[in-house]
Amino acid sequence: MYEAVYAHPDGDSTAARFAVTADRDGYDGVIVRAVDAHPDHDRLRESLPTDLVDAAEVVAPDPQHASGAVGNARTERTVVCVRGGTDALNRFAVEQPRVDVLSKPFVGDGRGDHRRGGGSGDVDHVLAKAARDNGVHIEVNLGPALRGRGGSRVRHLKRLRRLHRIVDHYDTPYVVSATAESHLQLRAPRELAAVGEEIGLGEEWTRRGLDAWGDLVERNRTRLSESFIAPGVERGRYEEDDRGAR
Amino acid sequence: MKHLPKHLRARWRYLAVGIETWPDADVDRAAFQREVWYAAQDLYGDVGSAEADLTVVEFDLTEGDGEAIVRAHRGAEERARAAVACLAAVDGHSVGVRVRGISGTMRACSERYLNGGTRGGKQRDVVFENEPSPAVVRGTRFDVDAGDGFVGATRLDFE
Repeated sequence: MYEAVYAHPDGDSTAARFAVTADRDGYDGVIVRAVDAHPDHDRLRESLPTDLVDAAEVVAPDPQHASGAVGNARTERTVVCVRGGTDALNRFAVEQPRVDVLSKPFVGDGRGDHRRGGGSGDVDHVLAKAARDNGVHIEVNLGPALRGRGGSRVRHLKRLRRLHRIVDHYDTPYVVSATAESHLQLRAPRELAAVGEEIGLGEEWTRRGLDAWGDLVERNRTRLSESFIAPGVERGRYEEDDRGAR
Repeated sequence: MKHLPKHLRARWRYLAVGIETWPDADVDRAAFQREVWYAAQDLYGDVGSAEADLTVVEFDLTEGDGEAIVRAHRGAEERARAAVACLAAVDGHSVGVRVRGISGTMRACSERYLNGGTRGGKQRDVVFENEPSPAVVRGTRFDVDAGDGFVGATRLDFE
């Protein structure tokens, strides 16, 4: 199981501290979704108890700005996330097969006018279908459920339940995260599953969302490895035999 | 008042909770208990809170490292776990919590999951991102006072 975190300077803890804490919580590794952070992944990975995955989170005011950043990040990083939050950005992210995860699809306070693309974004059946067709995971952000209070938390929980219903119906890929910004905000998988059960997402469903990060990392690493040519086409161990037969 | 007959007494489960904060956090048992109650009430309301009946029976925190035992009704362990997970801050100090395990008696709980007291960290001066800063060191964990709040790091970040 993996957890995606914001490491220093995006958050308050370094990637190494996240990894040490995640190891104690029972995670297999952490995904550093970097906005500005650039930890030395190769050096750290050798000495850390858990896996460390380099990822990028593209934060842009609108799709035009996001598009270039996604292209750059795709060639450099293992996992590419796009931070949503407006309807325009959410839509952009789910329509791009280059994007792995649409993160924080509704960060705003929910008071803006959805129809004009302002305010906070939302996910509806159209986006869910597009995300499924393009293989984009939608992030179920448990952060506000864990750390929020009062009205904004209630609104967020309401949206999570709606997202759960939509994602379930259309078989959209999804990931679950606590969106931790310091090692203190990290929670163990069992804790997240218990919270998921309590807020109506279901324990199993929440766990699958945590597992999905690992599958995503594995898939992308295979694709980045030298033996991968195209989906279904790989450089394998039979190549030499074929040559010998000719 | 007389003790209830044994079969009518409440059955408890004890959650061993590991606590982590920044070194300057000043949190006592009463504040932690209050926050546990609020978390439970916010998450599942008055009825659920009464059902789980979360009580902090042991609490120990020194310079950002601590542990506690939280008592819950048997059958409400997972609900208790969820409420504990929703503890984000106590008196404005961020707290990290993890449930280390659950036992049927307090003695088993503290023997199996608690380390028997917490130790404060050592003060040291480090260079973090080219700035000399004081830090509290505990094993491989470094909490660096970066001026505008702490930064969590490890020994690896200073090699």
